[in-house]
Amino acid sequence: MAKVLKEEDLIKNGKRCDGRGFEDLRPIIVKAGVLKQASGSAYVEWGRNKVYAAVYGPHEVFPKHMTNNYKALINARYIMAPFSGLDDHSRSGPNRRSIEISKVAKHVFENVVLTNLFPKTMIDVHMEVMQSDGGTRVASITAASVALADAGIPMRDLVCGVSVGKVAGELLLDLDKYEDNLGGSDMPMIFAPRNGDLLLYQMDGMLSKDEVERAYDMALGACKKIRVLQENALKEKYKEVFEKIKGGENGNNQGSY
Amino acid sequence: MAIIKEVTEAFVKDLVKNGKRQDSRDFSSYREIRVEKGIIQNDEGSALVQLGDTKVLCGIKFDLMVPFPDRPDEAVVMVGAEFSPMAHPDFEPGPPREDSIELARVVDRAIRSADCIDSSTLPRTEEKVMAIFIDLHILDNCGNLIDAASLAAMAALKNAQVPKINGEGKIIREDFSGPLALKRSAVVCSFEKIAGRMVVDATEEESTASDGRMSIGVTDDGLVCCGQKSGAAGFSKQELLDLIDLTFEKSKSLFKAIE
Amino acid sequence: MKNLVVPGEIVSEKPYRADGVFMEEGKTLSAVMGVVEDGRLIPLKGPYFPKRGDYVIGIIKEEGFYGWMADLHSPFEGKISARETREKFRIGDVVSAKIFEVDEVGEALLGEARRLWEGEVLEVEPAKIPRIIGKSGSMVSLIKQYAKTDAFVGQNGRIYLKGGDTSMAVMAILKICSEAHVSGLTDRISAFLEKGGKD
Repeated sequence: MAKVLKEEDLIKNGKRCDGRGFEDLRPIIVKAGVLKQASGSAYVEWGRNKVYAAVYGPHEVFPKHMTNNYKALINARYIMAPFSGLDDHSRSGPNRRSIEISKVAKHVFENVVLTNLFPKTMIDVHMEVMQSDGGTRVASITAASVALADAGIPMRDLVCGVSVGKVAGELLLDLDKYEDNLGGSDMPMIFAPRNGDLLLYQMDGMLSKDEVERAYDMALGACKKIRVLQENALKEKYKEVFEKIKGGENGNNQGSY
Repeated sequence: MAIIKEVTEAFVKDLVKNGKRQDSRDFSSYREIRVEKGIIQNDEGSALVQLGDTKVLCGIKFDLMVPFPDRPDEAVVMVGAEFSPMAHPDFEPGPPREDSIELARVVDRAIRSADCIDSSTLPRTEEKVMAIFIDLHILDNCGNLIDAASLAAMAALKNAQVPKINGEGKIIREDFSGPLALKRSAVVCSFEKIAGRMVVDATEEESTASDGRMSIGVTDDGLVCCGQKSGAAGFSKQELLDLIDLTFEKSKSLFKAIE
Repeated sequence: MKNLVVPGEIVSEKPYRADGVFMEEGKTLSAVMGVVEDGRLIPLKGPYFPKRGDYVIGIIKEEGFYGWMADLHSPFEGKISARETREKFRIGDVVSAKIFEVDEVGEALLGEARRLWEGEVLEVEPAKIPRIIGKSGSMVSLIKQYAKTDAFVGQNGRIYLKGGDTSMAVMAILKICSEAHVSGLTDRISAFLEKGGKD
């Protein structure tokens, strides 16, 4: 059904439209190593968002004149497929919004990737949204972090994040599309959860300083949970192989390996 | 097996001359085919097709457009293909490459020639007809993109639902009148000519050793609806006719996969 | 699996230098996915960093008056000086070589370069090479013995195989790659090879 909502409709009896509490994340699924050609890849389903991330490199820099003699360059690319939104079919390729997101994403990776280990090279990080429902940039960067680890690119931490916004007077964690469009403020954040470094910060709307602080804490708290999902996704394949071998060795003769 | 590119061509040709393929398939077998319909709920129709490790996603969106002047009552069908840089180290962002345009046009040709979509059942306004955007997104290029893409497009069309139009002549997303009516289905089979032999469903490594490719589209009611030869190699008349027979035979499992 | 780590996890309370780890506040942490054993990280993933003395397999990609540049399946390239060799290489040639020197930006100077003819070159994750070679070459010897194949293992993740049952050799190598993190690998590979390449 087409929803024509007003901001007040988004919260009823202390619950959000989809039944979540104010500080609840949407269900998130993270998978690592989903694409064969890419050096590293990941797939994230975050609520109704569906994003792929793929990493290539480190490799030679193109164009050559951009080469940095002291560190690797990060080439981050975020785009949305023409069929990803709820609305009309959009044109292929990057628009101004996706170029901006690509840039702020790049700064995240420039921080955690040990770029000084690979001078004169470039690392491509692709983030593509197949289906969008609010919070695609944080979902994409969360996926990209897993893809980088899957590619074996040395980093000092996995990164992840979430957005917090103000809707109908309340601070809500992890806005979906309706909450983002109709709400008063949106603040996406990406952290390196281990030491809490803020690596991506954007904000629109109007918030008091206290509200910013509360939102920050909410987001960092949620990150710890998201990081566990990222870790499990990366360890999954190894665990499977381990179980299979150890299961065979313990004389489980139902099926021979 | 990850045999490096530079030795791949010679390696593949050698295998083929000895009647073998790297993954032990015979020359007319497809890899495992997996089709998942309705994977993008934001769309009016969608499908993800996996042909071995090749992965192609198709999303369908409807819109309203002024029809082509020479076809005033027909729905407008537009097929686009994005060769994502995620899919292969040689794919770069930017304007479409010639092979991405070729793929989109071949898939389009099969659907259009076969007259798959029943325009007469689609709603319209006085000035505008339904436009159907079929967008193919190549996620992982492990060979035979054309077949995977045509299968994804057809599966997405079979999954498609027609949205309603409101009183002001605008599409109401998420309010559907029913499934998209299709008159028939069409799929494309591609053959790579390697060391003189025809190879079905070539992997990306096998295609590096190919001298030429023939793609043939057929309908589920026994007609040829699309053809495309690519690459420098020449084909004889007998080779073409044999490939048409082989396409009819192979298409059965492709049609079954998207039922 | 208790000792499987992702980037940012602790490897050792004491600092040490190696590929795949970094130091922070006097501790050593992992920068890549790996297995921690006795306070040391065994990386499961990561690119190849050229090291003096390593034997590698390169592919010639550029030619100039100076000699040739070779792709090493690494962010870093290898250079063969025209003065160091009498052979004339062409673009696309697969060569075995030894790393004589590594400069400040990581580029390798190659010597003892020899063209490899026929055979097959397999490319695997460089992190798995130590397991494929085994202690004092024990693992690769096993494979050569059973498959009756000639093998040259490059530290940069490329393996040259010629003659004998290369299919079985390749399957054994891929099995090592996928099971490197599970103890008892040598026994499993021996059993696999004894059965003619079956599990």
